[in-house]
Amino acid sequence: MAVERFLQPRASSWMANDGSNVDIAMSTRIRLARNLNDFKFPYAFTEDEALKVDKEISSVLLDKGSELDYTFSHINIDELAQLQKEVLVEKHLISPYLMNSYHPGSVLLSENEELSIMVNEEDHLRIQSLQSGFQLQKAYQIASELDTLLEKNLSYAFHEKYGYLTSCPTNVGTGMRASVMLHLPALTMSHQIQRIIPAISRLGMVVRGIYGEGSEALGNVYQISNQLTLGKSEYEILQDLENMTEQIIQQERKAREAILLNSPLMLEDRVYRSLGVLTHSRLLTTEEAATCLSDVRLGIDLKMIQNMNMSILNELMIFMQPAFLQQYADKPLQPKERDFARAKLFRERLNKIDMNSEGEDLA
Amino acid sequence: MICTQCGERSASVIVKKQQLGQVMELQLCHICAAENHSINIAFEQDPLAIHQLLSNWFPNSQATISRPKKEVAICPSCGFTFSHFLKLGKFGCASCYDTFSSQLNEIFKRFHNGNTEHTGKIPASYGSTLKIKKEIEKLRKQMQVSIQEEEFEEAARLRDEVKRLNVTLEGGSPDGS
Repeated sequence: MAVERFLQPRASSWMANDGSNVDIAMSTRIRLARNLNDFKFPYAFTEDEALKVDKEISSVLLDKGSELDYTFSHINIDELAQLQKEVLVEKHLISPYLMNSYHPGSVLLSENEELSIMVNEEDHLRIQSLQSGFQLQKAYQIASELDTLLEKNLSYAFHEKYGYLTSCPTNVGTGMRASVMLHLPALTMSHQIQRIIPAISRLGMVVRGIYGEGSEALGNVYQISNQLTLGKSEYEILQDLENMTEQIIQQERKAREAILLNSPLMLEDRVYRSLGVLTHSRLLTTEEAATCLSDVRLGIDLKMIQNMNMSILNELMIFMQPAFLQQYADKPLQPKERDFARAKLFRERLNKIDMNSEGEDLA
Repeated sequence: MICTQCGERSASVIVKKQQLGQVMELQLCHICAAENHSINIAFEQDPLAIHQLLSNWFPNSQATISRPKKEVAICPSCGFTFSHFLKLGKFGCASCYDTFSSQLNEIFKRFHNGNTEHTGKIPASYGSTLKIKKEIEKLRKQMQVSIQEEEFEEAARLRDEVKRLNVTLEGGSPDGS
């Protein structure tokens, strides 16, 4: 089955650790929402129409994807087991909304997992382009090229005044949501993030913790994205987001320097304790793993920890999630069993590497 | 209701936690809730659903809109009414945008910092006609200025240009689109 290759605990290209400012900006995502003109939108269409939409869109991508050097796999959501759907959600290749959708939908995935096109999510089409690091322009260019190819072969719902027509009034216009995932441990530790978040939202952008709402994002990972889709061109939206992200990155760097200057020993202690937890625990909750991952990541950025591969940490962030662990173990796991499996996964992945002279090899 | 964690402040948030297969419900105040890092990995999560925001913003709009017209706008293509759109927070099809256009500026302004018009990418298939329409609009404005300034020769030139573009628009497009 086509889906198998995407369920493996194998890194997608956007989890690689390259691109600019990758120590702080972990990944970049562009999403374009589009609809076909001749069909009702997903909130109003019939099952029959949903199937026709899926057929129209997927046949274009399967036939013409090669024009852009992509080979797509077409996966029907209905045909997947619940756990398989959850793995795709954890890998950010489909949304929870598509996973729980009650009408026929599908996803088309490029081999390197940089492009994921959801069919019959909230809109007929959700083109998603993922890149490692801080690469808004590149991610947009890839999404836009695919969009142009689709538009040549399909009739889009487009309005002279309102632009691309979408199900939700918050997406109309460009249909574009651009976001950058940022690791901001120092701004969080120094509580500056609480002042930054409301300031940014006044400028038509939004910051949220990727692990849900809360004053402090778990694992210190935040997502910053544009809120407006009307009245600004894609170029302007990307420029604004890029400027804002650059400013936050600078602030994070300053905060890191300040902490390193004021309490180097406390910071070093924290980093190494977390490294100890990740490499030696027998039970590890998602919460603890996320917190320790953040500390170890910071330790690598500040050159406290040498010889540790950052991209492994990126992968572990994804693979430590519940569905992945169960897929990997090939059986359902109770929460305590998952904590055990998670700890085992971390020990196996991290102890393989010669971390430092005192690093103990458990294998 | 008092916060179950601090026992001091009044509870304003209900937090559901799944632990060892059992669902626990905590009633927390906003401070304890903020400290409560119950993990919830979701890629794109709306903190507040759009339809809730919409119906709070436009609680009585259905009544005020339908009174003078004596009829409720129904989208001919998907059958959505404006109140159904408000309730759901979503459009049913492309035609909804024209059917409800008189109310949309107000809504879009609130969601998009006062903006109501798209200025971004245009699909190529719409591009050529839309470009001509925008050009005609621009020329007409220039023509008005020329008339006011009594530059009639320039106005006549602009009028001819508009005529030529209108012909192109009606089917004589040079690139056939």
